[in-house]
Amino acid sequence: PTIPEGMPTESKNKDGALVDEFGLPQIPAT
Amino acid sequence: MTHWFHRNPLKATAPVSFNYYGVATTPAATKICNDLRLSRTRLLELFTDLSCTPEMMKNATDTYFSLLKGFIVSLDDSSQDSKLRYIQNFKWTDTLQGQLPSAQQDAVFELVSMGFNVALWYTKYASRLAGKEDVTEDEAKEVHRSLKMAAGIFKHLKESHIPKLITPVEKGRDLEVRLMDSYIIQCQAEAQEVTIARAIELKHNPGLIAALSYETANFYQKADQTLSSLDPAYTIKWRKYLHLKCCFYMAYAYCYYGQTLLASDKCGEAIRSLQEAEKFFSKAEALCKEYGETKGPGTTAKPSDHLFFRKLGTLVKSTLEKCQRENGFIYFQKIPTEAPQLELKANYGLVEPVPFEFPAVHAHWTLESLAAFDLTKRPKEDSAKPKPEEEVKPVKEPDIKPQKDTGCQIS
Repeated sequence: PTIPEGMPTESKNKDGALVDEFGLPQIPAT
Repeated sequence: MTHWFHRNPLKATAPVSFNYYGVATTPAATKICNDLRLSRTRLLELFTDLSCTPEMMKNATDTYFSLLKGFIVSLDDSSQDSKLRYIQNFKWTDTLQGQLPSAQQDAVFELVSMGFNVALWYTKYASRLAGKEDVTEDEAKEVHRSLKMAAGIFKHLKESHIPKLITPVEKGRDLEVRLMDSYIIQCQAEAQEVTIARAIELKHNPGLIAALSYETANFYQKADQTLSSLDPAYTIKWRKYLHLKCCFYMAYAYCYYGQTLLASDKCGEAIRSLQEAEKFFSKAEALCKEYGETKGPGTTAKPSDHLFFRKLGTLVKSTLEKCQRENGFIYFQKIPTEAPQLELKANYGLVEPVPFEFPAVHAHWTLESLAAFDLTKRPKEDSAKPKPEEEVKPVKEPDIKPQKDTGCQIS
């Protein structure tokens, strides 16, 4: 698929970590 | 539109009139039957309607399934079946086995077969969205959500409804556990693909991308292996797709794992990891070709035509060259003969199916309307007996070209 653009818009807490709708960390580590 | 995802055909079904002359004894009972016929026809039309949205699909499914539930469950909350459960014969084809349908005189069979098609529709909807030129962030979310929905529907059918069927499912039919499992896993893996694409775009940690790619490759491998004991005549094309995706994501895993090794100054091991990525990528390329030449049910995806596919080849090559350069100038490390063992666990991005439940029984179903169905008035000569040998017209799908030959061939 084409790579989606943009920054995470929504967050939810998962195991104490903030994640976006895709289950990725809200703030990229790199 | 170039498909990224492989899709098997929708299940086809024979029309059902829900006409029970003499049995439906009041206008309320007759209305339920009419509504059932209309809502079933409407739902079947939506499966091939390119303008159908998830909201339209949900409305149509809620209406039909809530009405159909009156044929399945008792209205007094007991665990007993509805007295109407076995009144109607239903015929459904299977996604991989052409036009010869299975037939069962059981409303549960109708529920699971139609539910299966709803799940397939969500996968096809996701595939159409993902195949567009420029996928927006909202569309990517919808692709992701639709695939999780589909996985949830398949899972619910498998766990809660298929076990209630009286007639055991035949080998290779859609409702048997191996096929159900493959469909569930494929949906999860494809949703994770969207997450991987997003993780790359947002420049997440290479370790995270490597782990998620590795787990996704494992999902594809598992789905492929689950189908391995079925007749290759109708599974070979699907399995080629699953295999090529497995290799593609193994290439991703080794590529990004190589980056983590380089970042921790293990340049020799990084080179070996990148070499492994190169091998898997070449294998994925070869499998794309084989898959495209293999005949079988479903759409033919063209992953190798996609930028997302080709970009990996470029990334592997450039990262390997970088590692080799740095090893020649800085590290001077020996390159191991064995590829590194990937024992990666993803902490982020793993996909779980969205829990699914069928709607409650429609408000039209009351003790009174149910009592208005008089089964003693059924005709003695029941014309609705199963006749599985009769073919059912295939669904004309906008995305799938008709294909008569379902045998396998690799030229």
